[in-house]
Amino acid sequence: MVADSRKQGDSRPARRLNEPQRALVVTRGVGRGAEPVNVNRLAVARVREEWRVVDRWWTEEPVRRRYFDVVLESGQNAVVFHDEEGGGWFTQRGA
Amino acid sequence: MIACISIPAFPLRAALRNRADVRGRPAALAPEAGEQPLAGACTAAAEAAGVRPGMRLSEALATCPDLVLVEQDQAGVEAEWENVLRRLEDAGFAVESSEPGCAFFETAGLERLAGGLDATLRRALAAVGPVWEPRIGAATRRFTALAAASVAPPHGIVVVDDDESALFLEPLPLDLLSLTPERRGELSDLGIKRLGELARLPGASVADRLGADGREAWRIVSGPDGKRVEARRPPSEIAEELEFPEAVANELTLTRALVALLERLLVRPERADRAPRRLALAARLVGGGSWRRALTLREPTADAERLRIALTPKLAELTAPVVSLRLELGELTDSVGTQAELVRARGSRLRERLREGLRQARVGVGLEAVCTVVEVAPWSRIPESRAILVPRDD
Repeated sequence: MVADSRKQGDSRPARRLNEPQRALVVTRGVGRGAEPVNVNRLAVARVREEWRVVDRWWTEEPVRRRYFDVVLESGQNAVVFHDEEGGGWFTQRGA
Repeated sequence: MIACISIPAFPLRAALRNRADVRGRPAALAPEAGEQPLAGACTAAAEAAGVRPGMRLSEALATCPDLVLVEQDQAGVEAEWENVLRRLEDAGFAVESSEPGCAFFETAGLERLAGGLDATLRRALAAVGPVWEPRIGAATRRFTALAAASVAPPHGIVVVDDDESALFLEPLPLDLLSLTPERRGELSDLGIKRLGELARLPGASVADRLGADGREAWRIVSGPDGKRVEARRPPSEIAEELEFPEAVANELTLTRALVALLERLLVRPERADRAPRRLALAARLVGGGSWRRALTLREPTADAERLRIALTPKLAELTAPVVSLRLELGELTDSVGTQAELVRARGSRLRERLREGLRQARVGVGLEAVCTVVEVAPWSRIPESRAILVPRDD
Protein backbone atom coordinates (compact mmCIF):
# COMPACT_ATOMS: atom_id res chain seq x y z
CA MET A 1 0.00 0.00 0.00
CA VAL A 2 1.45 3.35 -0.95
CA ALA A 3 0.86 5.97 1.71
CA ASP A 4 -0.77 9.05 0.31
CA SER A 5 1.71 11.59 1.54
CA ARG A 6 -0.35 14.42 0.05
CA LYS A 7 -2.88 13.85 2.80
CA GLN A 8 -0.19 14.55 5.36
CA GLY A 9 -0.13 18.20 4.38
CA ASP A 10 -2.74 20.01 6.30
CA SER A 11 -4.20 23.35 5.57
CA ARG A 12 -4.78 25.46 8.60
CA PRO A 13 -6.23 28.87 8.07
CA ALA A 14 -4.18 31.78 9.30
CA ARG A 15 -5.86 34.14 11.74
CA ARG A 16 -5.75 37.90 11.69
CA LEU A 17 -3.73 39.60 14.39
CA ASN A 18 -5.39 42.44 16.34
CA GLU A 19 -8.96 41.62 15.39
CA PRO A 20 -11.39 44.23 16.83
CA GLN A 21 -13.17 43.14 20.02
CA ARG A 22 -16.69 44.30 20.74
CA ALA A 23 -16.73 46.85 23.60
CA LEU A 24 -19.29 48.37 25.93
CA VAL A 25 -18.93 52.11 25.38
CA VAL A 26 -20.98 54.93 26.86
CA THR A 27 -20.81 58.15 24.86
CA ARG A 28 -21.42 61.82 25.41
CA GLY A 29 -23.51 63.23 22.59
CA VAL A 30 -24.90 61.36 19.61
CA GLY A 31 -24.08 60.91 15.94
CA ARG A 32 -20.83 62.25 14.55
CA GLY A 33 -19.96 64.27 17.67
CA ALA A 34 -20.32 61.31 20.05
CA GLU A 35 -17.28 60.87 22.31
CA PRO A 36 -16.60 57.92 24.64
CA VAL A 37 -16.87 58.65 28.37
CA ASN A 38 -16.87 55.06 29.61
CA VAL A 39 -15.17 51.99 28.07
CA ASN A 40 -15.98 48.52 29.38
CA ARG A 41 -17.29 50.06 32.63
CA LEU A 42 -14.15 52.13 33.19
CA ALA A 43 -14.46 55.91 33.00
CA VAL A 44 -12.44 57.76 30.39
CA ALA A 45 -10.05 60.26 31.97
CA ARG A 46 -8.90 61.85 28.72
CA VAL A 47 -9.29 61.51 24.98
CA ARG A 48 -5.74 61.82 23.65
CA GLU A 49 -6.42 61.63 19.96
CA GLU A 50 -9.21 61.13 17.49
CA TRP A 51 -9.02 60.12 13.80
CA ARG A 52 -11.05 58.54 11.03
CA VAL A 53 -10.18 55.62 8.76
CA VAL A 54 -12.03 55.33 5.46
CA ASP A 55 -10.76 52.52 3.28
CA ARG A 56 -11.82 49.79 0.85
CA TRP A 57 -14.73 51.90 -0.37
CA TRP A 58 -14.24 50.23 -3.76
CA THR A 59 -14.99 46.76 -2.33
CA GLU A 60 -18.13 45.09 -0.99
CA GLU A 61 -16.71 45.41 2.51
CA PRO A 62 -15.95 49.12 2.92
CA VAL A 63 -14.35 50.33 6.15
CA ARG A 64 -15.50 53.55 7.86
CA ARG A 65 -14.31 53.94 11.44
CA ARG A 66 -13.89 56.75 13.95
CA TYR A 67 -11.01 55.95 16.30
CA PHE A 68 -10.36 57.35 19.80
CA ASP A 69 -7.12 56.91 21.70
CA VAL A 70 -8.21 57.25 25.34
CA VAL A 71 -6.66 57.11 28.81
CA LEU A 72 -8.91 55.36 31.32
CA GLU A 73 -9.24 56.34 34.95
CA SER A 74 -7.31 53.20 35.89
CA GLY A 75 -4.31 54.61 33.96
CA GLN A 76 -4.64 52.15 31.07
CA ASN A 77 -4.41 53.30 27.48
CA ALA A 78 -7.05 51.99 25.09
CA VAL A 79 -8.04 52.49 21.49
CA VAL A 80 -11.74 52.26 20.69
CA PHE A 81 -13.56 52.90 17.45
CA HIS A 82 -17.09 53.36 16.27
CA ASP A 83 -17.91 51.29 13.17
CA GLU A 84 -19.84 53.73 10.96
CA GLU A 85 -20.64 50.98 8.43
CA GLY A 86 -22.00 48.19 10.59
CA GLY A 87 -22.55 50.15 13.79
CA GLY A 88 -21.22 49.30 17.24
CA TRP A 89 -18.13 50.09 19.30
CA PHE A 90 -14.94 48.03 19.38
CA THR A 91 -11.59 48.07 21.13
CA GLN A 92 -8.52 47.28 19.15
CA ARG A 93 -4.83 46.72 19.85
CA GLY A 94 -2.14 47.78 17.44
CA ALA A 95 -4.07 50.75 16.08
CA MET B 1 1.29 -7.00 -22.56
CA ILE B 2 1.51 -3.25 -22.17
CA ALA B 3 -1.67 -1.48 -21.13
CA CYS B 4 -2.48 2.16 -21.63
CA ILE B 5 -5.07 3.75 -19.39
CA SER B 6 -6.59 6.84 -20.88
CA ILE B 7 -8.90 9.55 -19.54
CA PRO B 8 -9.64 11.87 -22.47
CA ALA B 9 -9.74 15.63 -21.78
CA PHE B 10 -8.39 15.06 -18.28
CA PRO B 11 -7.48 18.75 -17.63
CA LEU B 12 -11.06 19.77 -18.47
CA ARG B 13 -12.57 17.02 -16.32
CA ALA B 14 -10.30 18.00 -13.41
CA ALA B 15 -11.19 21.68 -13.80
CA LEU B 16 -14.90 20.80 -13.82
CA ARG B 17 -14.75 18.61 -10.71
CA ASN B 18 -15.64 21.51 -8.41
CA ARG B 19 -17.84 23.38 -10.86
CA ALA B 20 -21.32 21.99 -10.22
CA ASP B 21 -22.76 25.05 -11.98
CA VAL B 22 -21.23 23.97 -15.32
CA ARG B 23 -22.35 20.32 -15.21
CA GLY B 24 -24.36 19.42 -18.31
CA ARG B 25 -23.69 22.80 -19.95
CA PRO B 26 -21.45 23.33 -22.99
CA ALA B 27 -18.00 24.15 -21.65
CA ALA B 28 -14.46 24.42 -22.99
CA LEU B 29 -11.05 25.05 -21.43
CA ALA B 30 -10.01 28.68 -21.73
CA PRO B 31 -6.48 29.38 -23.02
CA GLU B 32 -3.83 30.37 -20.50
CA ALA B 33 -2.74 33.99 -20.23
CA GLY B 34 -0.46 34.87 -23.14
CA GLU B 35 -1.54 31.90 -25.24
CA GLN B 36 -3.39 32.12 -28.56
CA PRO B 37 -7.15 32.64 -28.05
CA LEU B 38 -8.12 29.07 -28.96
CA ALA B 39 -10.66 26.85 -27.21
CA GLY B 40 -9.17 23.87 -25.37
CA ALA B 41 -10.81 20.51 -24.70
CA CYS B 42 -14.64 20.63 -24.85
CA THR B 43 -17.45 18.82 -23.07
CA ALA B 44 -19.78 16.56 -25.06
CA ALA B 45 -22.48 19.25 -24.83
CA ALA B 46 -20.11 21.81 -26.40
CA GLU B 47 -19.12 19.40 -29.17
CA ALA B 48 -22.80 18.71 -29.86
CA ALA B 49 -23.27 22.47 -30.26
CA GLY B 50 -20.51 22.58 -32.88
CA VAL B 51 -17.52 23.68 -30.80
CA ARG B 52 -14.24 21.90 -31.53
CA PRO B 53 -10.96 21.94 -29.59
CA GLY B 54 -8.54 24.37 -31.24
CA MET B 55 -11.33 26.57 -32.59
CA ARG B 56 -10.82 30.36 -32.30
CA LEU B 57 -12.62 31.63 -29.19
CA SER B 58 -14.60 34.21 -31.15
CA GLU B 59 -15.79 31.51 -33.52
CA ALA B 60 -16.59 29.11 -30.67
CA LEU B 61 -18.64 31.76 -28.83
CA ALA B 62 -20.44 32.69 -32.04
CA THR B 63 -21.22 29.00 -32.70
CA CYS B 64 -22.41 28.40 -29.15
CA PRO B 65 -23.32 31.61 -27.25
CA ASP B 66 -23.98 29.59 -24.04
CA LEU B 67 -20.43 28.22 -24.03
CA VAL B 68 -18.81 28.44 -20.58
CA LEU B 69 -15.05 29.02 -20.66
CA VAL B 70 -13.45 27.18 -17.76
CA GLU B 71 -10.14 28.47 -16.44
CA GLN B 72 -7.26 26.01 -16.51
CA ASP B 73 -6.56 24.54 -13.08
CA GLN B 74 -2.96 23.45 -13.43
CA ALA B 75 -2.41 22.58 -9.78
CA GLY B 76 -5.80 20.85 -9.55
CA VAL B 77 -4.98 18.75 -12.62
CA GLU B 78 -1.66 17.63 -11.14
CA ALA B 79 -3.25 16.82 -7.79
CA GLU B 80 -6.11 14.84 -9.34
CA TRP B 81 -3.76 12.97 -11.67
CA GLU B 82 -1.47 12.16 -8.78
CA ASN B 83 -4.49 10.72 -6.93
CA VAL B 84 -5.35 8.55 -9.93
CA LEU B 85 -1.76 7.27 -10.17
CA ARG B 86 -1.66 6.55 -6.46
CA ARG B 87 -4.91 4.59 -6.64
CA LEU B 88 -3.41 2.49 -9.44
CA GLU B 89 -0.24 1.98 -7.41
CA ASP B 90 -2.31 1.02 -4.37
CA ALA B 91 -3.96 -1.65 -6.54
CA GLY B 92 -0.52 -3.05 -7.38
CA PHE B 93 0.20 -1.46 -10.78
CA ALA B 94 3.64 -0.02 -11.48
CA VAL B 95 2.68 2.92 -13.67
CA GLU B 96 4.52 5.27 -15.98
CA SER B 97 2.74 8.56 -16.40
CA SER B 98 2.92 9.94 -19.91
CA GLU B 99 0.83 13.07 -19.29
CA PRO B 100 -2.22 13.88 -17.13
CA GLY B 101 -4.87 11.51 -18.45
CA CYS B 102 -2.54 8.89 -19.96
CA ALA B 103 -0.46 6.24 -18.17
CA PHE B 104 1.11 2.92 -19.10
CA PHE B 105 1.72 -0.22 -17.09
CA GLU B 106 2.85 -3.79 -17.74
CA THR B 107 0.27 -6.46 -17.01
CA ALA B 108 2.64 -9.45 -16.77
CA GLY B 109 3.28 -9.30 -13.05
CA LEU B 110 -0.38 -9.01 -12.09
CA GLU B 111 -2.13 -11.36 -14.51
CA ARG B 112 -1.57 -14.41 -12.32
CA LEU B 113 -2.63 -12.58 -9.22
CA ALA B 114 -5.79 -11.12 -10.72
CA GLY B 115 -6.72 -14.23 -12.74
CA GLY B 116 -5.98 -13.27 -16.32
CA LEU B 117 -5.51 -10.26 -18.56
CA ASP B 118 -9.13 -9.18 -18.59
CA ALA B 119 -9.42 -9.34 -14.79
CA THR B 120 -6.19 -7.34 -14.47
CA LEU B 121 -7.45 -4.60 -16.76
CA ARG B 122 -10.84 -4.51 -15.00
CA ARG B 123 -8.98 -4.11 -11.73
CA ALA B 124 -7.14 -1.09 -13.15
CA LEU B 125 -10.43 0.46 -14.33
CA ALA B 126 -11.95 -0.09 -10.89
CA ALA B 127 -8.88 1.46 -9.24
CA VAL B 128 -9.23 4.65 -11.27
CA GLY B 129 -12.92 4.87 -10.42
CA PRO B 130 -16.01 5.32 -12.59
CA VAL B 131 -16.19 9.08 -12.21
CA TRP B 132 -13.27 9.61 -14.60
CA GLU B 133 -14.71 7.28 -17.29
CA PRO B 134 -11.33 5.61 -17.92
CA ARG B 135 -10.66 3.30 -20.85
CA ILE B 136 -7.86 0.82 -21.43
CA GLY B 137 -6.04 -0.42 -24.48
CA ALA B 138 -3.63 -3.33 -24.29
CA ALA B 139 -1.12 -4.67 -26.82
CA THR B 140 2.43 -5.93 -26.99
CA ARG B 141 3.58 -2.50 -28.22
CA ARG B 142 3.19 0.78 -26.41
CA PHE B 143 1.91 2.72 -29.36
CA THR B 144 -0.67 0.07 -30.24
CA ALA B 145 -1.86 0.10 -26.61
CA LEU B 146 -2.25 3.90 -26.81
CA ALA B 147 -4.15 3.59 -30.11
CA ALA B 148 -6.39 0.88 -28.63
CA ALA B 149 -7.18 3.07 -25.60
CA SER B 150 -8.07 5.94 -27.93
CA VAL B 151 -10.83 3.90 -29.58
CA ALA B 152 -12.08 2.12 -26.43
CA PRO B 153 -15.46 3.28 -25.08
CA PRO B 154 -15.74 4.73 -21.53
CA HIS B 155 -15.09 1.96 -18.94
CA GLY B 156 -14.17 -0.26 -21.93
CA ILE B 157 -11.18 -2.42 -22.77
CA VAL B 158 -9.69 -3.04 -26.21
CA VAL B 159 -6.99 -5.70 -26.51
CA VAL B 160 -5.04 -5.92 -29.79
CA ASP B 161 -3.14 -9.12 -30.56
CA ASP B 162 0.30 -8.81 -32.10
CA ASP B 163 -0.71 -10.29 -35.47
CA GLU B 164 -3.68 -7.90 -35.75
CA SER B 165 -1.66 -4.83 -34.84
CA ALA B 166 -0.96 -3.55 -38.39
CA LEU B 167 -4.56 -4.13 -39.45
CA PHE B 168 -5.84 -2.36 -36.35
CA LEU B 169 -3.62 0.71 -36.80
CA GLU B 170 -4.30 1.01 -40.54
CA PRO B 171 -7.47 3.18 -40.46
CA LEU B 172 -6.62 5.29 -37.40
CA PRO B 173 -5.89 9.03 -37.83
CA LEU B 174 -2.43 10.56 -37.47
CA ASP B 175 -3.56 12.52 -34.38
CA LEU B 176 -2.20 9.75 -32.17
CA LEU B 177 1.36 10.64 -33.17
CA SER B 178 3.02 13.53 -31.39
CA LEU B 179 3.68 15.47 -34.59
CA THR B 180 3.77 19.23 -34.86
CA PRO B 181 0.73 20.77 -36.60
CA GLU B 182 3.06 21.79 -39.49
CA ARG B 183 4.27 18.20 -40.01
CA ARG B 184 0.70 16.92 -39.81
CA GLY B 185 -0.37 19.55 -42.34
CA GLU B 186 2.52 18.56 -44.60
CA LEU B 187 1.46 14.89 -44.47
CA SER B 188 -2.16 15.86 -45.06
CA ASP B 189 -1.12 17.86 -48.15
CA LEU B 190 0.59 14.72 -49.44
CA GLY B 191 -2.69 12.81 -48.95
CA ILE B 192 -1.49 10.89 -45.91
CA LYS B 193 -4.15 11.00 -43.21
CA ARG B 194 -4.12 7.48 -41.75
CA LEU B 195 -1.48 5.55 -39.82
CA GLY B 196 -1.55 2.75 -42.39
CA GLU B 197 -0.75 5.18 -45.20
CA LEU B 198 2.27 6.45 -43.29
CA ALA B 199 3.45 2.92 -42.42
CA ARG B 200 3.43 1.89 -46.10
CA LEU B 201 5.89 4.63 -47.10
CA PRO B 202 9.60 3.77 -47.32
CA GLY B 203 11.36 4.89 -44.14
CA ALA B 204 14.23 6.60 -45.99
CA SER B 205 11.83 8.72 -48.06
CA VAL B 206 9.94 9.79 -44.91
CA ALA B 207 13.24 10.82 -43.30
CA ASP B 208 14.23 12.75 -46.46
CA ARG B 209 10.99 14.62 -46.66
CA LEU B 210 10.03 15.13 -43.00
CA GLY B 211 13.29 14.97 -41.11
CA ALA B 212 14.02 13.24 -37.82
CA ASP B 213 10.59 13.64 -36.20
CA GLY B 214 8.87 12.27 -39.32
CA ARG B 215 11.22 9.30 -39.35
CA GLU B 216 10.52 8.73 -35.63
CA ALA B 217 6.76 8.82 -36.29
CA TRP B 218 7.19 6.32 -39.13
CA ARG B 219 9.27 4.02 -36.90
CA ILE B 220 6.62 4.11 -34.15
CA VAL B 221 3.87 3.19 -36.59
CA SER B 222 5.61 0.60 -38.72
CA GLY B 223 8.17 -1.16 -36.59
CA PRO B 224 8.51 -2.54 -33.10
CA ASP B 225 9.05 0.50 -30.86
CA GLY B 226 10.82 -1.67 -28.28
CA LYS B 227 10.11 0.88 -25.60
CA ARG B 228 9.17 -0.74 -22.31
CA VAL B 229 7.27 0.81 -19.45
CA GLU B 230 9.51 2.64 -17.03
CA ALA B 231 7.45 2.65 -13.88
CA ARG B 232 7.90 5.62 -11.61
CA ARG B 233 8.88 5.42 -7.99
CA PRO B 234 5.94 6.66 -5.91
CA PRO B 235 7.09 10.08 -4.75
CA SER B 236 7.67 10.73 -1.12
CA GLU B 237 6.69 14.26 -0.28
CA ILE B 238 5.30 16.48 2.40
CA ALA B 239 3.20 19.56 1.89
CA GLU B 240 1.85 22.52 3.81
CA GLU B 241 -0.76 25.05 2.78
CA LEU B 242 -1.57 28.49 4.05
CA GLU B 243 -4.96 30.07 3.48
CA PHE B 244 -5.12 33.84 3.55
CA PRO B 245 -8.02 35.70 5.14
CA GLU B 246 -8.22 37.74 1.93
CA ALA B 247 -6.59 37.60 -1.51
CA VAL B 248 -2.92 38.59 -1.46
CA ALA B 249 -0.97 40.00 -4.39
CA ASN B 250 2.05 41.82 -3.04
CA GLU B 251 5.39 40.09 -3.22
CA LEU B 252 6.46 40.96 0.32
CA THR B 253 3.45 39.25 1.83
CA LEU B 254 3.87 36.22 -0.38
CA THR B 255 7.56 35.95 0.49
CA ARG B 256 6.71 36.06 4.18
CA ALA B 257 4.05 33.42 3.73
CA LEU B 258 6.58 31.29 1.84
CA VAL B 259 9.05 31.59 4.73
CA ALA B 260 6.31 30.56 7.18
CA LEU B 261 5.48 27.52 5.04
CA LEU B 262 9.15 26.56 4.81
CA GLU B 263 9.50 26.78 8.59
CA ARG B 264 6.45 24.59 9.09
CA LEU B 265 7.60 21.99 6.56
CA LEU B 266 11.17 21.72 7.78
CA VAL B 267 10.07 20.85 11.32
CA ARG B 268 7.62 18.15 10.24
CA PRO B 269 8.65 14.91 11.97
CA GLU B 270 8.05 12.77 8.86
CA ARG B 271 10.84 14.64 7.10
CA ALA B 272 13.18 12.75 9.45
CA ASP B 273 16.24 14.86 8.67
CA ARG B 274 15.90 14.16 4.96
CA ALA B 275 16.49 16.95 2.46
CA PRO B 276 14.20 17.66 -0.48
CA ARG B 277 15.49 17.53 -4.02
CA ARG B 278 12.28 18.71 -5.67
CA LEU B 279 10.15 21.67 -4.64
CA ALA B 280 6.74 22.68 -5.90
CA LEU B 281 4.92 25.89 -5.16
CA ALA B 282 1.20 26.03 -5.93
CA ALA B 283 -1.43 28.68 -5.38
CA ARG B 284 -5.16 28.92 -5.65
CA LEU B 285 -5.98 32.15 -7.45
CA VAL B 286 -8.68 34.63 -6.59
CA GLY B 287 -10.69 33.98 -9.76
CA GLY B 288 -10.94 30.24 -9.07
CA GLY B 289 -7.97 29.12 -11.18
CA SER B 290 -4.69 27.80 -9.91
CA TRP B 291 -0.99 28.19 -10.50
CA ARG B 292 1.92 25.81 -10.00
CA ARG B 293 5.68 25.87 -10.47
CA ALA B 294 8.09 23.03 -9.72
CA LEU B 295 11.85 23.12 -9.51
CA THR B 296 14.56 20.58 -8.93
CA LEU B 297 17.57 21.48 -6.81
CA ARG B 298 21.07 20.71 -7.99
CA GLU B 299 21.71 19.10 -4.64
CA PRO B 300 19.18 18.31 -1.90
CA THR B 301 19.17 20.75 0.98
CA ALA B 302 17.13 21.37 4.10
CA ASP B 303 18.60 24.82 4.61
CA ALA B 304 15.65 27.20 4.91
CA GLU B 305 17.57 30.16 3.50
CA ARG B 306 18.76 28.29 0.41
CA LEU B 307 15.27 26.96 -0.20
CA ARG B 308 13.84 30.45 0.15
CA ILE B 309 16.36 31.86 -2.34
CA ALA B 310 15.43 29.10 -4.81
CA LEU B 311 11.69 29.61 -4.45
CA THR B 312 11.26 33.38 -4.12
CA PRO B 313 11.79 34.22 -7.84
CA LYS B 314 8.90 31.90 -8.70
CA LEU B 315 6.49 34.14 -6.81
CA ALA B 316 7.07 36.88 -9.37
CA GLU B 317 5.46 34.61 -11.97
CA LEU B 318 2.08 34.58 -10.21
CA THR B 319 -0.64 35.73 -12.56
CA ALA B 320 -3.33 36.86 -10.07
CA PRO B 321 -3.86 37.50 -6.34
CA VAL B 322 -3.81 34.27 -4.35
CA VAL B 323 -6.16 32.98 -1.69
CA SER B 324 -3.97 30.09 -0.60
CA LEU B 325 -0.34 29.14 -1.06
CA ARG B 326 0.94 25.56 -0.93
CA LEU B 327 4.50 24.30 -0.75
CA GLU B 328 5.53 20.70 -1.41
CA LEU B 329 8.89 19.16 -0.66
CA GLY B 330 9.46 16.09 -2.80
CA GLU B 331 12.04 13.37 -3.41
CA LEU B 332 13.25 13.50 0.16
CA THR B 333 16.70 12.01 0.36
CA ASP B 334 19.06 11.25 3.18
CA SER B 335 21.71 13.86 3.38
CA VAL B 336 25.16 12.47 2.59
CA GLY B 337 28.56 14.05 2.33
CA THR B 338 27.86 16.98 4.58
CA GLN B 339 30.61 17.83 7.08
CA ALA B 340 29.51 16.94 10.61
CA GLU B 341 29.92 19.73 13.13
CA LEU B 342 32.67 19.46 15.72
CA VAL B 343 31.40 22.24 17.98
CA ARG B 344 27.70 22.86 18.44
CA ALA B 345 26.51 26.05 16.83
CA ARG B 346 25.99 29.02 19.12
CA GLY B 347 22.49 29.20 20.49
CA SER B 348 21.59 25.62 19.64
CA ARG B 349 21.02 24.74 23.30
CA LEU B 350 18.81 27.79 23.76
CA ARG B 351 16.84 26.84 20.68
CA GLU B 352 16.33 23.33 22.07
CA ARG B 353 15.03 24.77 25.32
CA LEU B 354 12.74 27.12 23.48
CA ARG B 355 11.42 24.25 21.35
CA GLU B 356 10.73 22.20 24.46
CA GLY B 357 8.94 25.17 26.07
CA LEU B 358 6.78 25.62 22.98
CA ARG B 359 5.99 21.91 22.92
CA GLN B 360 4.82 22.08 26.51
CA ALA B 361 2.71 25.17 25.80
CA ARG B 362 1.05 23.34 22.93
CA VAL B 363 0.33 20.29 25.08
CA GLY B 364 -1.17 22.52 27.76
CA VAL B 365 -3.16 24.96 25.69
CA GLY B 366 -3.70 23.32 22.32
CA LEU B 367 -2.15 23.01 18.86
CA GLU B 368 -3.01 26.55 17.87
CA ALA B 369 -1.28 27.98 20.95
CA VAL B 370 2.01 28.77 19.23
CA CYS B 371 1.93 30.96 16.16
CA THR B 372 4.28 33.04 14.07
CA VAL B 373 3.31 36.60 13.30
CA VAL B 374 3.60 37.14 9.55
CA GLU B 375 3.34 40.73 8.42
CA VAL B 376 1.21 40.77 5.31
CA ALA B 377 0.40 44.43 4.76
CA PRO B 378 2.30 46.52 7.31
CA TRP B 379 1.31 49.72 5.48
CA SER B 380 -2.42 49.08 5.82
CA ARG B 381 -4.53 51.68 7.65
CA ILE B 382 -6.69 48.87 9.00
CA PRO B 383 -4.84 47.35 11.97
CA GLU B 384 -6.22 43.80 11.60
CA SER B 385 -5.02 43.65 7.97
CA ARG B 386 -1.39 44.27 8.83
CA ALA B 387 -0.39 40.83 10.14
CA ILE B 388 -1.65 37.28 10.41
CA LEU B 389 -0.99 34.51 12.91
CA VAL B 390 0.28 31.30 11.36
CA PRO B 391 0.25 28.20 13.62
CA ARG B 392 3.67 26.54 13.86
CA ASP B 393 4.65 22.99 14.69
CA ASP B 394 8.20 23.11 16.04
